[in-house]
Amino acid sequence: MINNSFRLRQVWMIARLQLRRVFFARRSLWVYLLAFFPAIIFIGHGIEVKIKRERWGGHAVTTPAKLDSVREGDTEEEVIAKAGTPITDQRFRRRDEEEPERRYMRYYDGTRQVNLWFRSGLLVQKSTSNLIDFEEDRQVYAGVFQYFYLRLAIFFGCLGIFMNLFRGEMMDKTLHFWMLTPVRREVLLAGKYLAGLIAAVVIFTGGALFCFAAMLWPQETAEVQAFWRDGGASHAFWYAAAAALASLGYGSVFLAAGLLVRNPIIPAAVLLLWEGINGFLPAVLQKLSVLYYVQSLCPVPAPMDSDTPALARMLLAPAEPAPAATAVLGLLAVTALVLWFASRAVTRLEINYSTD
Amino acid sequence: MITPEIRLDEVSKFYGEVLGVNRVTLRIPPGITSLVGPNGSGKTTLMNLITGLVHPDRGTIEVRGISPRNPEQLMRFTGYATQYDAAPRGATGYEFVSAGLLLYGCSSEEARRMAWKALERVSLTDAANRKVAAYSKGMRQRVRLAQAIAHDPEVLVLDEPLNGLDPLVRAETIALFREFANRGRHVVLSSHVLQEVDVISDQVILIANGMIIAEGQIRGVRDEMHEHPSQFLIRCRDASRIASILFEMDHVTEIKLHEDRLGMLVWTRSRQEFSRALTRIAGNGSPIDSVMAADENVDALYEYLIGGGR
Repeated sequence: MINNSFRLRQVWMIARLQLRRVFFARRSLWVYLLAFFPAIIFIGHGIEVKIKRERWGGHAVTTPAKLDSVREGDTEEEVIAKAGTPITDQRFRRRDEEEPERRYMRYYDGTRQVNLWFRSGLLVQKSTSNLIDFEEDRQVYAGVFQYFYLRLAIFFGCLGIFMNLFRGEMMDKTLHFWMLTPVRREVLLAGKYLAGLIAAVVIFTGGALFCFAAMLWPQETAEVQAFWRDGGASHAFWYAAAAALASLGYGSVFLAAGLLVRNPIIPAAVLLLWEGINGFLPAVLQKLSVLYYVQSLCPVPAPMDSDTPALARMLLAPAEPAPAATAVLGLLAVTALVLWFASRAVTRLEINYSTD
Repeated sequence: MITPEIRLDEVSKFYGEVLGVNRVTLRIPPGITSLVGPNGSGKTTLMNLITGLVHPDRGTIEVRGISPRNPEQLMRFTGYATQYDAAPRGATGYEFVSAGLLLYGCSSEEARRMAWKALERVSLTDAANRKVAAYSKGMRQRVRLAQAIAHDPEVLVLDEPLNGLDPLVRAETIALFREFANRGRHVVLSSHVLQEVDVISDQVILIANGMIIAEGQIRGVRDEMHEHPSQFLIRCRDASRIASILFEMDHVTEIKLHEDRLGMLVWTRSRQEFSRALTRIAGNGSPIDSVMAADENVDALYEYLIGGGR
């Protein structure tokens, strides 16, 4: 008997049958690359920090108090007397200058590295930096998430996943298989959308969380514990939610585009431009954007360097954020509207492989 | 009451400016109906219209009272073996057949049982667990047929279903169609091979350039065919002399000598008399190397029917 519960089962069945194709299609490989590329960068950074920590930690670690006692103007001998043997000690002379030999020393106190530059045997410059800066890494993550992940990775990843649900099958000449089953076209659309959504959420939410974990991995244990105590889980949750909702929104747009146009470059370019100029659109038009809502959910504002060119600043500047509830409901409303258009288009869809 | 008919009323379909079918009105009763026409005549378009893969620009279609715009109802009792060769990537023959059954609401166990039964009916159980992509043309044809019959449909639509089948499987497949038809079901198939139509069909619909040019019982078409001049290609050493003998005969309407003078194309109104004449000529010492029918393709019949006879 055909009723709504049967149709829901059909939706799930279509999604199940489609999932293997979505996850393991050869043309999805680059989607995985996009999703996990930032994690690779953070893992690389983490490995570098771990290696340095191990290598420098193997030397005698100087106490912070001893390092703080070192002052500019101290002689080399005084510094060594105060701080002991450095972990790095290099001497060099510039060929084009008639200057005396220079010397560079590095000390490590278990957390910070202190760099000392000597000229004529006197300490002329002292700089201190943390081996790893948690606050800075969180800022970098926020920037990577909002500028790369939301605007490019999820955007183009959803383009690859959702455009292929109908257009890809049209190109493979396999779409008729679905259209010859006793399934309403709207049910077919819902099943395929669900499959794409599951794949996109798993890949991109997984990628965002994996990247977040990679960012936390080399941090000092105490700082990480403090972070979790101070709402770190909420940060992770909102990043994951933003990635999932971006997949939901962009997925619906590209699913509809796959039904309406043959060439994915055109809708992608138009939407990319639309999302790019979202920050300086009138308030009412800002709401017709996926980026507007998902950026509002990000727990840390994306950093913007003061020397960023004016045009890039204009394109990257987010619109005034919406409250979380408004953002979620707004995005769901936009998605529902786009899916409704897609459901109208799918009922008119015809198999005409010769023109594709 | 639902009419057990496929009805098309004034149906037209255009692909941009290209005509698919034009103002087609048809009533297709249960039994085996063959759509016969040359390539590009509109057979596949007609089948796609009946199964809802394309929608008409004008006119209405009903399949046993159901519009093809309602696939949820239509495909419950309709199976369509298309000409499209591709199957979902990576699917085995068994998966290809059983996947569709799950969407009919079958349990996994039912789908498994029905899929194996369908594969058995097309003699494809041995290759069922191999990927469809690795199948030969004939095997792909059979797996598509298995998928179309797996849910035991009332209406079976088959696009060139006998293409690529070896003679044994071909005979089994024809028997399968006959069995369906004998149970009061629709079997609508397309072909461009005249011989197939002759053997299989209860009725034939001749289509050319998107228009129906003849329809009816097979006998009517056969009568037309009796009047239709057949073409034969003869290869022989003394073509000029044999041509002059043949030309004296009433049933021979036209002869074209081949450029190499070692063969000719002959049009005759009577295959039997032509055959007897050739036997006589060969018996009188004029060696004939080969004789080949040149118009087994249905195109010649169309030319004849459209042109009103030669």
